[in-house]
Amino acid sequence: MTTRLVLDEILDPGAARVVVTRDATGRVSEAAFDLAGLPRVDGLLTGRPAVEVPALVERLCGICPAAHHLAGMRALEALAGVTAVPPTAEAVRRLLHAGAVIAIHVVHLVATDPDAALVLRRLAKAAMATAGSPGHFPATAMPGGVVAPAMPDRRDACAALVPEALAVARRVAERALSAPPGSLDGFGGADVALVDDVGRLDLFGSRLRAVADDGTVLIDGAPASDWDSLVAEAEPGSSAPRPYLVALGSRGTYRVGPVAQLRVADVPTPEAAGLQTAWRTGGGGASAARAVIVVHAVETIAGLLGAPALVAGDVSVPLPPSGPGVGVGWVDGARGLLVHRYEVDAAGVIARATILTPTAQNEPWLGEMLRAAAQDRGTDRARLEDAIREADPCLPCSSAPAGAMGLVVDTVEGP
Amino acid sequence: MCIAIPVRLTGITPGVMPMGTVEHAGATLACCLAYVPEAGIGDYVVIQNGFAIDVLDPESAALSLAAFAELGAVPAETPA
Repeated sequence: MTTRLVLDEILDPGAARVVVTRDATGRVSEAAFDLAGLPRVDGLLTGRPAVEVPALVERLCGICPAAHHLAGMRALEALAGVTAVPPTAEAVRRLLHAGAVIAIHVVHLVATDPDAALVLRRLAKAAMATAGSPGHFPATAMPGGVVAPAMPDRRDACAALVPEALAVARRVAERALSAPPGSLDGFGGADVALVDDVGRLDLFGSRLRAVADDGTVLIDGAPASDWDSLVAEAEPGSSAPRPYLVALGSRGTYRVGPVAQLRVADVPTPEAAGLQTAWRTGGGGASAARAVIVVHAVETIAGLLGAPALVAGDVSVPLPPSGPGVGVGWVDGARGLLVHRYEVDAAGVIARATILTPTAQNEPWLGEMLRAAAQDRGTDRARLEDAIREADPCLPCSSAPAGAMGLVVDTVEGP
Repeated sequence: MCIAIPVRLTGITPGVMPMGTVEHAGATLACCLAYVPEAGIGDYVVIQNGFAIDVLDPESAALSLAAFAELGAVPAETPA
């Protein structure tokens, strides 16, 4: 089985297609974002040794390789029954993850504040280098732990960048919070994010929390091993699989990412916690949420750099041979929850793999915002572009300058 | 899943927001280089949202292109 990836769709900085459905009276009944540019690679992984999958997937998704690297390692460890790695390995992995979250978020800043973007990128790259990944693709983790502890000289060089980065991140967040949030987001579904053992936001957490629009906690700290009972795909294998919370059935639409992260749980770092309060009282919005998460990630890096375990200690645990079974690994990345689910045979070969990305999970949310925009203003491109920027799909259009998205709107008749 | 194929930088237009051109598989496209001031002509870059987000060393670019080629996704290409 092969997949032909059309390069024009991948690189065109403005490519985006929206399909608006109108009923017989002309009323907009539905709108959807075309995810054809995001092919599922799951089927291509069948028949490969599971241990090879994380490296292969992180190469394909060169945008978030660290997230795939870490989620994949966790899935391999779950297959082997390993539920925890040594403190040093945990700290080094967390450092890589926090750096990667910043690196991805601040791409949005380049067009409006390139100086701030470069300051934050410098810290992000230094954090990832300190975690053993100086290049674009990570080399930090191995099944059962990490390759090495952080080097003290790199740690110290990274720490020297923190004060300026934190000041810049805080300034960017305060500016984002002062802007009025958009009016598009009337999402009625749930929010899903990872949390720590006591229910605080943890982008590298081992527990999943889901909260309904009215604040009702739907899932409170479920482990990754429960994944199959938590989330299912309405259209398995599709680029737009329409995942839903199993407990709620077809009404179980949810979203992930910075908005969900700030709605689901309290941020545990002090600067970001204060900004989260302002975000919640100010009406939210994805742009400000991203900025608050960046502050949180900078604070997380600062905390990790001060942890003795980062530079000394056992780096891995032995990984026992994996029998047949299912292993699920996850991280809460810049765009939200990323899940690797590997089903293997007795030889450790993939019988079935599922890579569920944040963009795929957020497609229903984006569809709702597009429908609201289309019902309000028809095919007014500015409003549709706003909706796309809010959901931030991992496609070459999310942060195109206003009016430059090159949006294609197809209108079809339907029910 | 989002897909990022390394592409080679073939031109640079300096400025406050420096721009670059990339070519691959017959396509020529523009990208912003403000986020990767270290990028030079001939480097392989990864692009997101019209911005080059990182520079790859030739070995890393080769590994990525090999991964795509292995899956039959793009023709194999050897970095210069």
